Amino acid sequence: MASLKFSTLCIIIALIVSLILFSAFIALLVMISPSDFIRSLETKEMQYSLKLTITTSLISTFLAVIIGIPVAYALARKDFPGKNLVKTILDLPMAMPEIVLGITLLLLFGHTPLAQFLSMIGVKIVFSPLGIIVAQLFSALPYTLRILSSSYETINPRYELVSRSLGYGELETFVKITLPLSKAGLIASTAVAFARSVGAFGAVLILAGGVYMVTETLPITLYLNISYGNLSMAISAGILLIIVSFITIFIIEKMGGGKLWR
Amino acid sequence: MRVENLSVDLDSFHLRDINLRVEKGEYVCIIGPTGAGKTVLIETIAGFHKPSKGRIILEGEDITCKPPEKRGISIVYQDYMLFPHMTVYENIAYGARKKIRDKKSLEEEIMRIAGIMGIKHLLDRRPETLSGGEQQRVAIARAIISKPKLLLMDEPFSALDTRTTEKLRDFVKRVASEYGLTIIHVTHDIVDVWSLADKVAIMNNGRIVQYGEVEEVFSRPADNFVADFIDVNILDGEIVGSSRDVVLIRAGDILLKAKANTVIGQHVRVFIRPEDIYVTTEQKRIGSECFRAVVEKIVENGPYIHLYLSRNEIVLKAILTRGYAKCLGLSPGRQVYVHIRPENIRVART
Ligand SMILES: Nc1ncnc2c1ncn2[C@@H]1O[C@H](COP(=O)(O)OP(=O)(O)OP(=O)(O)O)[C@@H](O)[C@H]1O
Ligand SMILES: [Mg+2]
Repeated sequence: MASLKFSTLCIIIALIVSLILFSAFIALLVMISPSDFIRSLETKEMQYSLKLTITTSLISTFLAVIIGIPVAYALARKDFPGKNLVKTILDLPMAMPEIVLGITLLLLFGHTPLAQFLSMIGVKIVFSPLGIIVAQLFSALPYTLRILSSSYETINPRYELVSRSLGYGELETFVKITLPLSKAGLIASTAVAFARSVGAFGAVLILAGGVYMVTETLPITLYLNISYGNLSMAISAGILLIIVSFITIFIIEKMGGGKLWR
Repeated sequence: MRVENLSVDLDSFHLRDINLRVEKGEYVCIIGPTGAGKTVLIETIAGFHKPSKGRIILEGEDITCKPPEKRGISIVYQDYMLFPHMTVYENIAYGARKKIRDKKSLEEEIMRIAGIMGIKHLLDRRPETLSGGEQQRVAIARAIISKPKLLLMDEPFSALDTRTTEKLRDFVKRVASEYGLTIIHVTHDIVDVWSLADKVAIMNNGRIVQYGEVEEVFSRPADNFVADFIDVNILDGEIVGSSRDVVLIRAGDILLKAKANTVIGQHVRVFIRPEDIYVTTEQKRIGSECFRAVVEKIVENGPYIHLYLSRNEIVLKAILTRGYAKCLGLSPGRQVYVHIRPENIRVART
């Protein structure tokens, strides 16, 4: 009897929490009229922000996945000295407040020999759109690594051994066997990287500055307009961000993402 | 192929001073208890573990430091390892592509091997739609289409039922002679050794404890471990009756029922482990037929009794617990009834 009551209780809590969240989404949607939403979308600011967000996110997603593919492979398959330390460092941005990630990146790219070198060759990261990409990349990378390495780990290494024995080198085996077998993980990690990039706020704000119509991405638009009291712009930005999240979740579910979060 | 003084150090396991010489075209079985290092040994030969000492020589060339893809050694695993994102055809082609470049001869080769292995009708299927036996035939085809210098098989039949295994043995035999393959086959099944191998190596604790011709090793075990490990009654007989998957075998004047799939008139070799023989002093029905025999000799061995039973020319060894033997009150010359369950009788065609 007790166990029945307990499980009923669990279900009730789950329903209540999801109801609260759902009401919050609905609130966001009913707070503005469709015509206000359309008008917000048509403003120069929103168009700029949307375009900048999508461009930077596509680039940072691409980078996160391209970097993630070999790094996750090393973490999942190979042993090397200091591996656990490397793992911890790469995971750190996931646990760190985004705003702290932002300040560390700001210091690295603003006040170190690396910064001097970059400015010497004319690369400006701080307070520039390039900074957005860097901030998004580091917010997304830990998630990409997690998903990719656990998807590599589910592949029996003997597939790779068999391929090697049939005459295919390490790289060829990786491209022809390991990558296709981790397809679901690749798609899921791309989706998550994109969502993280689009939604990156704290790090982007600190590193890229959050300047109106210069380094203004959707989360920044939301933030700036809230502070000006321009609620309908803020809400519209929020709705766009939610749409991205829904599409991401949909793709992950479709790719059997549940299994990837072991 | 020659393995000389090979040692491999893994975290908590060590292969020590392995010496193994396999002539071209020879078929060698490796048997040994679980954890003996059989898989580690053949994976080292394939190039997946780095030896700490010793050499591996294949067709006169030292391959100890070569990467696996440069060795010309193929490997077949118990769980097939067919690439799930490719069709059967593509899987086999994957095994050949490094050797056979032009499309037409590739297709001819694939058709040839598919014919030998009886998988022509499966070429367009995905691996997950095949039965275990079919998958293993595809895996073997993929492994040998490039004519490897050495084929390694790690318990290739362990996941398959007896009937499928018997069929696969025939396929392997055929393809081995057709392609002139040199084979090292790890197995737990004594029937594999007797029906396929020229030589057998027995492994224990990371060492090869005996290696030689099959007959030789079985008739002259090198030490107590080998003697115990291969301790088995071997009888020669003939199939005199068969129904579905049970056959009647006559060995001398003993009639035995066994689970096998062979035709009447076939000469067979029968294997019965001594612990699978059950002895009573009165004629009872306990689920299996029984026959009479006479106690020849009784040897005490710790908690066990080794009993040698004779019936005309045939002598069978049985192992009983000491307590049970006491209850029976056995003594040499005493007549007893011998029971052997059909599923405990292993049959190899000769
Ligand atoms: N990569 C590895 N690293 C460390 N230890 C290993 C590795 N591979 C195998 N071992 C250990 O080596 C020992 C021998 O393993 P192996 O798989 O060779 O046994 P086996 O004779 O093939 O047994 P089985 O009959 O069960 O297949 C085991 O104790 C195993 O845990
Ligand atoms: Mg093994």
